[in-house]
Amino acid sequence: MSYTAKRLLLTGNHAVAWAVKRVRPHVAPLYPITPQTPILEKLTDFQSKGELEGTELLTPESEHSAMAACISASLTGVRVFTATSSQGLLLMHELLHYAAGARARIVLFNVNRTPASPWGFWPDQLDSLSQRDTGWVQLYSESPQESLDTTIQAYRIAELIGVPIMISHDAFYVSHAMEPVEVPSQQQVDEFLPPFACDHFLDPKRGQSFGAPLDQQNWNRSRREMAAAMARVFAAVTDAGKKWGETSGRDYAPLECYRMDGATTVIVTMGSMCGTAREAVDALQDKGNRVGLLKVRLFRPFPVAALKEALAGVSCAIVLDRNFSCGLGGILHQELKAALYGLKPAPKIHGLLSGVGGVNVSVNKIKQWVSEYAGAVPVNESLWVE
Amino acid sequence: MECIDYQDVDIFHSGHVACAGCVEALSLRVILNIVGQDAVAVVPPSCTAVICGIYPNSALSIPAFHTSLESAAATASGVKRALLAKGKPDTTVLCLAGDGGTYDIGLQSLSSAAERNEDILYICFDNEGYMNTGGQKSSSTPEGAATGSTPLGKTTRKKNLVDIMAAHRVPYITTTSPGHILDMKAKVKKALQIKGTKIIIVLIPCLAGWGVADDAGIKAARMAVDSGIFPLYEVEDGERYTVNQLARTQSVKPYLALQKRYRHISEEQVEQLQIHTDKAWQQLLLRADQQQ
Amino acid sequence: MEPQASPLWTTRTTLDRKTGTWRDAIPDYRTLPSPCLGACPVNGHIADWIGHIRKQEYHAAWLVLMDNNPFPAIAGRICHHPCETACNRQYLDESISICALERFVGDMALAKDWSLPSSDLVKKEKVAVVGAGPAGLSAAYQLRRRGLQVTLFESQNQLGGLMRYGIPAYRLEKRVLDGEIQRILDLGVIVEHRPITTQQQLEQLQNSFDAIYLATGAARSKTLPVLDYAKPWVIDSVEFLATTNANKSHPTGQHLIVIGGGSAAMDVARTARRLGKSVTVLTLEPAGHLPAQHTEVEEALEEGIRFVSGAMLQQVNEQTDGLELTCIEVEFTAGYRKGEFTIKPKSGTAFTLKANAIVPSIGQDANYAIWGESFKAQGPILKTGSDWQTEKKGIFAGGDLASMERFVTHAVGMGKQAAAAIAHYLEGQSPTSDEKTVAAVSIDTINTYYYPQQDRIDQQKLPSRQRLQNFDEVQQPLQEVQADAEAIRCFSCGTCIYCDNCYAYCPDMAITKLEKGYAIKSDYCKGCGLCVAECPTGSIVMQKEYEEITQ
Repeated sequence: MSYTAKRLLLTGNHAVAWAVKRVRPHVAPLYPITPQTPILEKLTDFQSKGELEGTELLTPESEHSAMAACISASLTGVRVFTATSSQGLLLMHELLHYAAGARARIVLFNVNRTPASPWGFWPDQLDSLSQRDTGWVQLYSESPQESLDTTIQAYRIAELIGVPIMISHDAFYVSHAMEPVEVPSQQQVDEFLPPFACDHFLDPKRGQSFGAPLDQQNWNRSRREMAAAMARVFAAVTDAGKKWGETSGRDYAPLECYRMDGATTVIVTMGSMCGTAREAVDALQDKGNRVGLLKVRLFRPFPVAALKEALAGVSCAIVLDRNFSCGLGGILHQELKAALYGLKPAPKIHGLLSGVGGVNVSVNKIKQWVSEYAGAVPVNESLWVE
Repeated sequence: MECIDYQDVDIFHSGHVACAGCVEALSLRVILNIVGQDAVAVVPPSCTAVICGIYPNSALSIPAFHTSLESAAATASGVKRALLAKGKPDTTVLCLAGDGGTYDIGLQSLSSAAERNEDILYICFDNEGYMNTGGQKSSSTPEGAATGSTPLGKTTRKKNLVDIMAAHRVPYITTTSPGHILDMKAKVKKALQIKGTKIIIVLIPCLAGWGVADDAGIKAARMAVDSGIFPLYEVEDGERYTVNQLARTQSVKPYLALQKRYRHISEEQVEQLQIHTDKAWQQLLLRADQQQ
Repeated sequence: MEPQASPLWTTRTTLDRKTGTWRDAIPDYRTLPSPCLGACPVNGHIADWIGHIRKQEYHAAWLVLMDNNPFPAIAGRICHHPCETACNRQYLDESISICALERFVGDMALAKDWSLPSSDLVKKEKVAVVGAGPAGLSAAYQLRRRGLQVTLFESQNQLGGLMRYGIPAYRLEKRVLDGEIQRILDLGVIVEHRPITTQQQLEQLQNSFDAIYLATGAARSKTLPVLDYAKPWVIDSVEFLATTNANKSHPTGQHLIVIGGGSAAMDVARTARRLGKSVTVLTLEPAGHLPAQHTEVEEALEEGIRFVSGAMLQQVNEQTDGLELTCIEVEFTAGYRKGEFTIKPKSGTAFTLKANAIVPSIGQDANYAIWGESFKAQGPILKTGSDWQTEKKGIFAGGDLASMERFVTHAVGMGKQAAAAIAHYLEGQSPTSDEKTVAAVSIDTINTYYYPQQDRIDQQKLPSRQRLQNFDEVQQPLQEVQADAEAIRCFSCGTCIYCDNCYAYCPDMAITKLEKGYAIKSDYCKGCGLCVAECPTGSIVMQKEYEEITQ
């Protein structure tokens, strides 16, 4: 079946808004925050033009309340969307746990921005990465098109498994940068996404309640069940990416291996740096260097097996982190090390704190770091680089 | 005597774990009975959250979602919007919150829901403190009362939530008590007829927290009303004040004497409380008169 | 992949948690004696029949009344109503007008000509009742209702005894008396108008009847030693009332002195006032402590009767213009038993009163010597056991003949008790008492919150000037709306009114409504006691459960 997609010049945030328009969530609680605001404003704009009629837009006084409304709306049995960034996501933190524990099928779009203080507005993934233990699925996008596509796929995954999903793209580099984006037709999305369904919801006819106090055994059980659900996510992300590829021509996978065939050195990163790294890889390959890119799209659940498989036989992995976990280092760096523990032979792993605070990471810099670290003896710590 | 005319419709079930004699459980029973089965409850942490059920049991036959302490009204908004999206605008969404979750940590989300005039029925079971955590002060704790965090008695006065919410121009906010079931029934019925944010503050004498006998919860509630410490009144659209009791029939002293939380207070403090009560009552009457 | 169920949604209600295990006491519904019941000489279930009035079930109210007393219209007029003195409502505002309510129902029964279902049951045993006063009529009524064959012996032409010949019409209309007596006769009581005043006559009865009830009253006036009863100016009070009540005139002078502070003295004084006399009442008891009912004294005062209280007659001098009575003030001390007292004249307090005639009305004695030596005395009255049986097997006695409790309702109550005792005797059973020794419901157990203050509704009285012109009834009956309103004031102490408070105020839904009444769900009741606290009638009590186990 072929569909009539349209190509529009969109920022990353507007691409997300277009995805939401196509997904047609029933409830969308939203609170503005730079640099997420264009998502909110585009949606209210759609609605004011009568293009988002089936969606209850809710503008509460805080992200905390927005998330509270997301959880309860989802548990009432409808499709839900919200978007936030940085402080907003951090304010939601308590309820991110709530949402995951309640198995709310929420899709949240986060625009990665530095957390205060000091007050900054710059691309940095610490806001979302510091939520990695909340039980949310985390996907990272490198471009407006991917943000649109991933948002649509996320509903399929969230509603299938019964988990909340957070998608992040970098502030400004993706959120506000314009590029041509293919917007799928309504019919295409409708056919991709089955109608919202869940077995349990707040139904006066059935009267089942959720969240009541419980004993240790049952709380323990709740985490085991969440773990079991998480274990199914990798396959669901793979499947959704493949299915979306079938209808859109754009395939997605939890990990993207770019020019990794025969590569001895692999750059591992997430988000907007992937695009830059892709260019650096092309340039290095052109000069005969066996360098590839491993893009981590699915960060939670952390795809340990797939990472091991992808990096088996690679002699050196250079991780570029646009985040810094104080006292630990780059989060992707440290997680990757843990994931590859016991792999034989294992690549040497360098962790570079390369884009913390949104500092510019250029193609040249990446090329420079590759030449600098590819043959070097790795250290445990992540290294600050300029 | 006026008979109570009450017939259970089995929304609230026996076997709940409220303390023996708990008038919050009693109020839940009466309110849910009026609200009926076509409803969804939102319950932040509170005594009610425990009363409503311990997994896998529920004391309610309507569904309830146990939300976070600060987000009852926002959570209810989410439920309501979802129901609207599902084409079920008539299902009642009610919050069953305590005073901590309303006067304190939940005030922000309540304020916002009220400002948006979300179509929810917000019940605040006001036991004047954090009783579920063993009895600490909240901003609803009245002056003089001893709590776990004010062992010498609270030095500041109870927050006037009715005025705060009336200033939001909610279509309906009212006070009631388990000692006034006819009043409570009528107010819940009235609230159900109104679209928008309705708030009912129910005074709940906490037997353990206030130091009241197991069988005296109703009595304490009535004395609070009769003394004018907790007057029964309602405000419509933020401006029409109506007092729902004929008069004050007693001083504050016997009401205070009934409760252990006031046993440390001096005669001068009793007098001070009486003065504050008198003044508030006069102000209330004035407001009620002004629109006539 | 199939969608997976979210875990940890509730699967069942709390009904499987039995919170009844928390408690140490459980509420128990009981019908407890009200203070009025305990005080009532006929043990009338007052809370019960007032409850019927409240629901405007007047006929049902009347039937409850008639269980214990065949004379609600009469008692409603002349009863000294100790029930009202005991009434718990007085601690909130004022006692219930029980007596007026009883009259309201009794009058309605007469007006509507309500009758009792005639007893088809005729047992073979025959009982003779001697004396058709309140005790005799009450006994005859209760015996007949038990199916026994009853013959009433009355020496007077008409039935009623003291109620007819002692109580003036302004207190009790004859029409009312006739009506309520006729209803008894309609049950199939045989009347023989002949005196049983000798031992021989009594022995004849013994031969023909299985049991005998003697209730001939106390017709013999007590005498004052300082008075010469042979003098024409000394008038016997019983005779005075009897002749007046029979509409005959009695020759007296203009100014009467009535001696005595009881009901009979009030009747004499007030009757005399209606005959145009000026009347002074002289009593040993100080003012405020007269044995007559308070209202009688009050009405007597309203009618212009002068009271000289706390004084004693010492001497009477005949003078040309009448009598001069020398009196002295006394210190009066009531004795341990009813009717007993001691007096001490206060020296130097002598005074004189003027009069044309004196009516001593200081009480009557019973005369049982007429039936021979075998009846024993107990003070001034005939000795009986607790079952009202005399020393002679099968012969019972009651009323003024065997008791110093001299109010009409006491006599009615005694007749009822004797009837029960006689029935037991005839069945060969030992007497049992239907009065349990359960304490009456106290005001502390009544939740008065449910009763807003409300003034007592009293009967209206005729203006005193109007009263003196004839013998019309002074007390005017309650209207229906008044009766209904007054009945609402009743606390119904100890008797459930099915108000649903216990049901509705239970925080645990642990009370079930039955078709009539309630049941506790012991699986869920936590024993908090709210139902007891909120019961407006005091008819639920907390029962310690370990007591139940040991029972």
